Amino acid sequence: MLDNANPTILSVSELPTRRQRRQRKEQPKKGGIRDMFYGKPEWEMDPYYTLDYSDVDSDDSAIEPIDEQEIYDLIAPISDPEHPLSLESLGVVKLQDVHLISPPNLTNPAALSRVLVELTPTVSHCSLATVIGLGVRVRLEQALPPSFRVEVKIKKDTHGQAEEVNKQLADKERVAAALENKSLMGILRKMMQPCMESLESE
Amino acid sequence: MATPHELRIAPLADFKPIAESRAWVSIPNPNGVPLIATATSEKTVRVYSLKNFTLHSKMEGGHNRSVRAVAWKPVTKRTGTLTVASGSFDSTMAIWRRKEEGGFAAEVADQEIHLENGNGGEEDLEVEITIDGQKKAAPRLITSAKDEDEDEDNDDWAFEIVLEGHDSEVKDVAYSPSGQWLASCSRDKSIWIWEEIGDEGDDDFETIAVLQEHTADVKCVVWRKDDGNGEVLASGSYDDTIRLWKGDDEGEWSCISVLEGHEGTVWKLEWEPEVSMNKWCPEREKDDHSPRIPRLLSASADCTVRVWSKVPSPPPPNKPSYFNSGIPSTMRPPPANETWECTATLPTVHDLPIYAVSWSQKSGRVVTTGGDSKIAIYEERTKGRTSVGGVIEMEWVILAVLEGGHGPYEINHITWCQRYDPGKKTADEEMIVSTGDDGVVKAWSIEEIIGAANGTAALAVTGATNGTEGVVEASS
Repeated sequence: MLDNANPTILSVSELPTRRQRRQRKEQPKKGGIRDMFYGKPEWEMDPYYTLDYSDVDSDDSAIEPIDEQEIYDLIAPISDPEHPLSLESLGVVKLQDVHLISPPNLTNPAALSRVLVELTPTVSHCSLATVIGLGVRVRLEQALPPSFRVEVKIKKDTHGQAEEVNKQLADKERVAAALENKSLMGILRKMMQPCMESLESE
Repeated sequence: MATPHELRIAPLADFKPIAESRAWVSIPNPNGVPLIATATSEKTVRVYSLKNFTLHSKMEGGHNRSVRAVAWKPVTKRTGTLTVASGSFDSTMAIWRRKEEGGFAAEVADQEIHLENGNGGEEDLEVEITIDGQKKAAPRLITSAKDEDEDEDNDDWAFEIVLEGHDSEVKDVAYSPSGQWLASCSRDKSIWIWEEIGDEGDDDFETIAVLQEHTADVKCVVWRKDDGNGEVLASGSYDDTIRLWKGDDEGEWSCISVLEGHEGTVWKLEWEPEVSMNKWCPEREKDDHSPRIPRLLSASADCTVRVWSKVPSPPPPNKPSYFNSGIPSTMRPPPANETWECTATLPTVHDLPIYAVSWSQKSGRVVTTGGDSKIAIYEERTKGRTSVGGVIEMEWVILAVLEGGHGPYEINHITWCQRYDPGKKTADEEMIVSTGDDGVVKAWSIEEIIGAANGTAALAVTGATNGTEGVVEASS
């Protein structure tokens, strides 16, 4: 049974994006730093799942730093686990709820950037808030350089169990274990599919 | 406030070859064998040599998910066998053994075997335990199929047995200092205490206790040395609390204290080493022979490291304060509820969750690391008396902070470790070993900065380093 059978749907064409511009510059890249970070994830072994890891070109990022819009564009197309709709069209992710703190000195490779994404669940009892949050965190950790520390939270006063969900999403060990859970990975894979399709349509 | 730091954390070596994905934790052998075991998300345990920083051996094929934790069994008899327990996200624990014919074991046999259990010997092992099989969940034991080739091949770790029982990911495993108990903890909120029965190599384990009072994932377990009242287990949890556990004379285990105060997951605990206890207990009454209670360090997602001390309980009426000492175990009082309080918080360094803390058994110094990739060293010092005859006040100071220890990657674990490589300057020199999300295990040497107090940061020892990355912050 759906938590929210009739969600409000926003028109994607009216939402802010710079997706087209950035994607044109993307080149396929294999064996990047994210492969080291995650090893070979199971879905990468799957020949029917062509996850392109080169969402952000690290050569470009030195010249043109990653901004909130770009982070938003990475997660906006993720599909809701119970509706065939994107998180941006459901209003779960909003550009103004993507926060980025960049280090003052971008030439220091060890300097960390902090990303905070606040999610607005479609209903305040949404049982899939954790899965959606996990999808957003995983998407950003894979797409952004390793110096980005990603925090995904439920926006204040939008969900009954916000604190519990936030704590789970912040727990690196739980996230790591979840990524080794086959059924959960199946759900995440479906959610990420539109991110891949938007690349293929280029 | 600009406080010049007094130590420099200098890159010494990366252990090679590196794991291809996240490494969780690296544990040095506690008995002077120059090996360190690393748990990895490659589903293996890597064992590196501390003599030359290269891969020595691997434990493979025992787990089908990430290996999260690893523990060496403390050697209490010279059997020439190394034993390791590993805990995995596949919810099992595995026991591994390796014969060390003429190898490291022979070297260890030449030395006096260092027993963590200072009370000397096998008498301590004769604690009688009554097992109430009905009350405790029975362990399911599966002995691995050992083919003959494996038995002949002494170079490999033999996968001896799987210990099943947890419902979800095993987060930590720990052998008690006496080697008698093995504790495991899990996301299923429980702690299991296992006992190896029969002779070494029989692979017969019994579940002694299943402790289920935490209300969320149990992240870490650590044993306290027997001070005459039995070994005590401390656990840290996602429920933000720390619990202390102890078995009574009937073998019933129960929670003896709950330590509350952290505002985030407790990721790591460490008991105070003897060197620190001896340093700060000069004021004891001469006739006070009651066991000293070590303090406990806790590292948390709330970005604090806290020191916990037992609140002294008044001696029972008509009995001297040392009534606990030297009384046979059968007369010991049952475990009572203890009160512990947070007596210090280390100076703030980290701004992301602190995943690891290690308290040096040699220097008494503390090292921490976490999600912000910083490595920090602290020392406890006296501030002096605030009043004549009053209590000597203590303070913790930061000796060194290094940023970007593993470049941009998070550091999951840090430990003090004896140096065995040819480059060491003194026989008992210590180094730091860090383990990161990049799969890298790194060794760091500690160098004194002469004149740090005057603000002139000159290096006492330049030391041969093989110049790897690492942004060193000598002063802030």
